Amino acid sequence: MRSAKDKEKRPGGQKQYYRRKKVCKFCVERIDSINYKDVKLLSQFVPERAKIMPRRISGVCSHHQRRLNDAIKKARNIALLPFATE
Amino acid sequence: MRNYEIMFIVDPNAAEEEIDKINAQLESIITSGGGKVDKIEKMGKRRLAYEVDKHREGYYVLFVTSANGDIIKECERRLRVMDAVIKYITVRTDEEVRRLEKIKSYRQKRAARRSSGAPAAPAQSIEEAMQ
Repeated sequence: MRSAKDKEKRPGGQKQYYRRKKVCKFCVERIDSINYKDVKLLSQFVPERAKIMPRRISGVCSHHQRRLNDAIKKARNIALLPFATE
Repeated sequence: MRNYEIMFIVDPNAAEEEIDKINAQLESIITSGGGKVDKIEKMGKRRLAYEVDKHREGYYVLFVTSANGDIIKECERRLRVMDAVIKYITVRTDEEVRRLEKIKSYRQKRAARRSSGAPAAPAQSIEEAMQ
């Protein structure tokens, strides 16, 4: 998402950044159930280090982030997702 | 009566009959206690995300049941005792199912209202995207 920002030059010489508005994937695609068994979906929100991606980067809304959190933690418990990578 | 999902991982070196035996045992515990087994799904061998008791692979089995808490407690106790079972998790699902149904009915009501009303298409699609 960070790469989406554009540089714009203002008349005053000050640089202004334009950042695309992030949208919640679950709201937009109308994904209601975030299930712990759905590894394919969940793994989009766990980058390399296997940490849960923060909302400020992924753009997920708070309701869905909470459900996502629960699902990821359940999946970790049953070894579908890693706690950490070596 | 509540709905639960029991997922457990069996030693991948265990024979197929052993897995069937475990399933039969669990099923008998649930049905004898007055519960119901809706589905037994063998999800097959999978790589584990991390090492569990020196295992890198595991055989996943999923039970979908409706039962009382006491029965589930007994099932968990049994699973803990079994040597072939490496790991298990029980998840209560009825609350989630109810929530999803609520959302679904809400969506249908909205869709019905929209199709009967004046189709002011562009404004509505923006509203939809914002939601």
